[in-house]
Amino acid sequence: MADSYADASADANAVADGFFDDQTLKYLGVGLSSLFALGVGLLLLYILATQVDYGLIPTILPQFLRAYGLVLGIVVTGSVLSVSAGIFVGLARVSKTRITSGLAAIYVQFFRGTPLLFQIFVVYFGIPTLWPGTFPVQDWGIPTAIIALTLNHAAYVGEAVRGGIGAVHDGQMEAARSLGMGYVQAMREVVIPQAWRNALAAVGNDQIILVKDTSLLTVIAVPELIQQFRSVNSATFDPWTPLVLVAIAYLSITIPMGRLVEYLEERSDWGGESQ
Amino acid sequence: MSDSDRDSAGGPGDHALLEFEHVDKYFGDTHVLKDISLDVEDGEVCVVIGPSGSGKSTLLRCANRLEEIQNGEIRLDGRSISDPDADINRLRQRIGMVFQSFNLFPHKTAIENLTLAPRKVRGTGEAAARQRAEELLAEVGLSDQADSYPNQLSGGQQQRVAIARALAMDPRVMLFDEVTSALDPELVGEVLEVMRGLADEGMTMMVVTHEMGFAREVADRVVLMDEGRIVETGAPESFFENPETERGEQFLSKLL
Ligand SMILES: Nc1ncnc2c1ncn2[C@@H]1O[C@H](COP(=O)(O)OP(=O)(O)OP(=O)(O)O)[C@@H](O)[C@H]1O
Ligand SMILES: [Mg+2]
Repeated sequence: MADSYADASADANAVADGFFDDQTLKYLGVGLSSLFALGVGLLLLYILATQVDYGLIPTILPQFLRAYGLVLGIVVTGSVLSVSAGIFVGLARVSKTRITSGLAAIYVQFFRGTPLLFQIFVVYFGIPTLWPGTFPVQDWGIPTAIIALTLNHAAYVGEAVRGGIGAVHDGQMEAARSLGMGYVQAMREVVIPQAWRNALAAVGNDQIILVKDTSLLTVIAVPELIQQFRSVNSATFDPWTPLVLVAIAYLSITIPMGRLVEYLEERSDWGGESQ
Repeated sequence: MSDSDRDSAGGPGDHALLEFEHVDKYFGDTHVLKDISLDVEDGEVCVVIGPSGSGKSTLLRCANRLEEIQNGEIRLDGRSISDPDADINRLRQRIGMVFQSFNLFPHKTAIENLTLAPRKVRGTGEAAARQRAEELLAEVGLSDQADSYPNQLSGGQQQRVAIARALAMDPRVMLFDEVTSALDPELVGEVLEVMRGLADEGMTMMVVTHEMGFAREVADRVVLMDEGRIVETGAPESFFENPETERGEQFLSKLL
């Protein structure tokens, strides 16, 4: 007992006097990150000053804008669908009915356990051959994009929602039920709003990944942003001009999405953090 | 309180308000409630005491079917609660429950905690629900906190909101499970005060508590549980002064 006490205080001193005490760590952190930011900033300036062909931009801008609009459309549709479906997947995962929770678990295992690219191929190449006769859809690329992104991200949103529901205290359901609410009503009025707040960060994270996942659609020739890079680059051998446009396009979607998540989190603050 | 419901009660009037009849409860192989029979009369304050693990919480939780029983029957006003076909959501509206851990809805303000169930379960209009909620908040001394979130309230205030929330459904009986055990000592009094007021108004109450002062003062009857059985029941004066059973004596001597 006395020994361990002595050890503990010795350890505490070692931490306080040692190289990695709080102050040192702080300066180290500030120093390293400043250095890093400086390096990246300089590189970026160098690229913008010497590598980007500004004369090319007016020529390629229209095709980038079309691609941007298309990506936005796919993202909005895919987001709405995958979040809605994901909520049901999450609810099914916590269902007390074995078949429901079992099927939901298999769904998640499959869509989280195989690459999105594989899923895109299944929908794009696989589904049409299953159709009896000629496949009726002409432009199957964009529907494929929406179907594959929705199915894939509904699995991730489902897991986030399941985690969010799990983090709601059992007493919440009991309190709601003891007031005479049915299971569905208690879920809707009491559990889900809290679960949603718990899941928001994870769902937001996933939806930002969904935006970037649209880049995979280049392999089925959907005219999205990476596709534009490839066409410009192969015509002009200029990598940096289209790359910069691609970066701007993605960031102009993902950064506001991050902000939106932060805003939604702040809005469901419910009178302060202290729970 | 709700006269209409009292009138429309099932069966001839020859029964207690809350009846436990030969109730057995198992968790797996563990026999947690053993042949419990107990009648709580209309207007009675029944205080349940006993050592930890004796089954007090389980008894209360069976009374609004948060737990299922394996044998026997529990009835409210002559209507079975334990019957698998019972309309449990309807019966639970008549049984208010207050928990040790408050379980207020954190995403709702105090007054919204009170109006949620009346609006969603009974279809009470927003204005009527609010008005009743305001009355109840005044009754528990929290009129000025109507728009606070649970996070912004002290433990004692939260528990008083939780009591008011249960009352908002106009229950016939109120169940209290160690509702002051999670509170700082200086906050216990304000909650017991509210419960004393309810008892004075004639509310039927089943109270699990370690507050022996409250039991002695407010109870009409004390029920001592041990290892899943009711080992002694009696009026508080006789129980605390002169317990009939050896187990009762032992329990009381440990308190001192
Ligand atoms: N969900 C459960 N699953 C299994 N056993 C349980 C469960 N809940 C309670 N028990 C057991 O049932 C017995 C009675 O528990 P209960 O909580 O009713 O006791 P209590 O009298 O309320 O005790 P305390 O004063 O500590 O609250 C205990 O042995 C407990 O371990
Ligand atoms: Mg208990």
